Amino acid sequence: MARYSSPLLAELLRTLFGKRITVRYPYAPVELPEGYRGLVVADPDLCRGCGLCVRDCPADALELVKGENGAFQLILHPERCAYCGQCEMSCHFGSIRLTSAFKPGAATKEELTTVLVDHPADEPVEEDA
Amino acid sequence: MDRMTIPIGPQHPLLKEPMSFNVTVEGERVLEATMRLGYVHRGIEKLAERRTYIQVVHLVERICGICSHVHTTTFCDAVESLLGLEVPRRAQYIRALLCELERVHSHLLWLGVLAKNVGFDTVFMYSWRDREIVLDIMEGLSGGRVSHAVNMIGGVRIDLDDEHVRGILERFDTLERQVDRALVLVEHERTLRARTQGVGVLTPEDVRRYCVVGPTARASGVDVDMRRDAPRPPYDELDVNVILHDAGDVWARTLVRTQETRESLRLCRNLLANLPEGPTAARARRRVPAGEAVARSEAPRGEVFYYVRSDGSDTPARLKVRTPTLPTLATLPGQLDGVAFADVPVVLAGVDLCIACADR
Amino acid sequence: MMIVSETLSALFSVLVFPGLAFCVICALAFEWLDRVIIARLQGRVGPPWYQPVADLIKLLAKEDILPTGASHTVGAVLPLLSLASVLTAALYVPVAGHVVSSFEGDLIVVLFLLSLPALAYFMAGWVSVGVYSVVGGSRSLLQYFSYEVPFLMALATPAILADSWRISAIVARQPTWGVFTMPLGFLLAVVGLIGKLKRDPFDIPKAASEVVAGPLTEYSGRKLALWHLTVDVQTVVGIMLLVNLFLGGDTSTFVPVAGWAAPLLFAAKALGILAALALASVLYARLRIDQLAQLGWRVLAPLALAQILVALWMVG
Repeated sequence: MARYSSPLLAELLRTLFGKRITVRYPYAPVELPEGYRGLVVADPDLCRGCGLCVRDCPADALELVKGENGAFQLILHPERCAYCGQCEMSCHFGSIRLTSAFKPGAATKEELTTVLVDHPADEPVEEDA
Repeated sequence: MDRMTIPIGPQHPLLKEPMSFNVTVEGERVLEATMRLGYVHRGIEKLAERRTYIQVVHLVERICGICSHVHTTTFCDAVESLLGLEVPRRAQYIRALLCELERVHSHLLWLGVLAKNVGFDTVFMYSWRDREIVLDIMEGLSGGRVSHAVNMIGGVRIDLDDEHVRGILERFDTLERQVDRALVLVEHERTLRARTQGVGVLTPEDVRRYCVVGPTARASGVDVDMRRDAPRPPYDELDVNVILHDAGDVWARTLVRTQETRESLRLCRNLLANLPEGPTAARARRRVPAGEAVARSEAPRGEVFYYVRSDGSDTPARLKVRTPTLPTLATLPGQLDGVAFADVPVVLAGVDLCIACADR
Repeated sequence: MMIVSETLSALFSVLVFPGLAFCVICALAFEWLDRVIIARLQGRVGPPWYQPVADLIKLLAKEDILPTGASHTVGAVLPLLSLASVLTAALYVPVAGHVVSSFEGDLIVVLFLLSLPALAYFMAGWVSVGVYSVVGGSRSLLQYFSYEVPFLMALATPAILADSWRISAIVARQPTWGVFTMPLGFLLAVVGLIGKLKRDPFDIPKAASEVVAGPLTEYSGRKLALWHLTVDVQTVVGIMLLVNLFLGGDTSTFVPVAGWAAPLLFAAKALGILAALALASVLYARLRIDQLAQLGWRVLAPLALAQILVALWMVG
């Protein structure tokens, strides 16, 4: 019997005294690599409201609501987001990007919807006389 | 003993994805098996007609979780040939690196599934443990374990610097050692061989009649491998060993896949060592000129074939995907005829099913 | 007074040690150890110590249904019958020298009681009308015929050598550990125990990849909790039986051991057999039922017969 199973027995003993490969998550910390594609955030100072990310999103997770006088809101629906990173690739201004956060849980769908950028209306320009 | 019809699926611990078999047994012998598919049909080809090319790249990635990168690579290939775009060599190398890594992870996954179906949980745990290293490498490269989103039309969106390459090569050393030990174990394990030898035999004539491709065909002696037969750079610069066996049973498929895993690891090292300098993407127009294009690749399960027809706008007019698993599934009722009922999981595991691929 | 104290001590014996409470606690502890050993061998961490208790409590809280057409009375009696029979068998198996009751021939009673759960298992498959249950049930009967005969013959060997069918007497009369005088018998007994407990590689009746859960597929809730407890208690009783018959109970052969350490020695031997069972379940793939039948009748039964003949010759 040992002759038949010796490679396996050696592997078993090696595993028994080696490092465990499973961790007791969430009691043990888990490290994420750099570049992990998680929740989407946007930098409001850089965002111009051009809508390229909205057009290119494969899952229709982004929504641009335009108001008056240049006001706009960029809204994310995380339940539709596929974490593909296309918005980050499409943005010419480097505003929208993916972070490493991966737990967007909430109790209702309304709570989940986030306003990424809330750009107020532009100040009316004073006309010089 | 009278006949019983045992339903396997759509939900069954044996199946990773829903599909339905009705197996008629008499005692322990299977008399016939009927099959129903379509539980995972999402209409991807139709959905692709309503999305822009940029969006379709992400859509086709979700045809299958295991061979996701190969699908996007092939699609980007087809669109790039319609655009007449020259993809930089560095991008092609990175694409091929991920293709081969995906092959390794797919074969290790398959090995675990076969072992679980045979009741050999230990090999399942070991091969998936080694697969974790591959997934960690892919996560470090692309940011996701299963969906990589690496391809864009014109190239890739990631880049590797030297430190990154060094880190990957270090993990490769561990991976190769562990995978080699696991594969030696599988090749010499008597109970596994006793369960898989002589089961689910496919003759070369059957393979040709059903147009089966991939490791299943190569295990029956039919020599077909897209990496060598329709080489796309960089495969034309690499020397791919095509592995053949002629027994045609599940044991032969096991041997083909284990040896292919070793071969893929060797190819990965080769690709990393010869990574050319240069840009990683070429700028692509959003509107694709009218025309038709065809692209083929070797997915872990065989040849994946894409046909793209464009009408000059920025959405495809027609996308047709032919995945390797659909014809392989068609051979299943024939393979299940006359086997013992306990061999049904072995046969189902042997053809390496991916219903998501088959149903699209 | 004497009667009261005797009754109390008898009640203690039956209900606490080495009876009901001890058996159940041991069963849960052994299940946890088994799972942790298998997990460590596979590179995983394994469940926390309270996992078997938590599983039992969870099952007790679940809905308890059987499919239409299944007989509810029979379906409810069967798990109770199996649990009762293994617990009764535990009464006669000495634990480190303490036994609740002992008489000449109690080995045969124990073996009979330990084989009742196998029949109840098959009946459970038959009674819960689903396809998976019936197929699993018929496989369990086939498996029963393959392992039971070598198992019984292997367990008869110590009785032959000690010239008694009373377990305490067998333990007392062993000059040295049985494993040295009849190693083949010990090996066959362990293999038979794997089949009896339906552990890997002999878990064909409940092979998850073929027949979902075998005869117990349709069971849930309290009845399933009783079935699981039966398997665990059967493991404990089987292991202790083997320790008594082949490993000398709590006696020690080579190195003299103090009186207080004898129970620890017993526990160590039991854990050793448990580790061997866990190792066996990790090493091999599951056999097919026809391969098992061939193994049972072509290899195990002739070896068991040879062992009995050798034992008879040794006794003279």
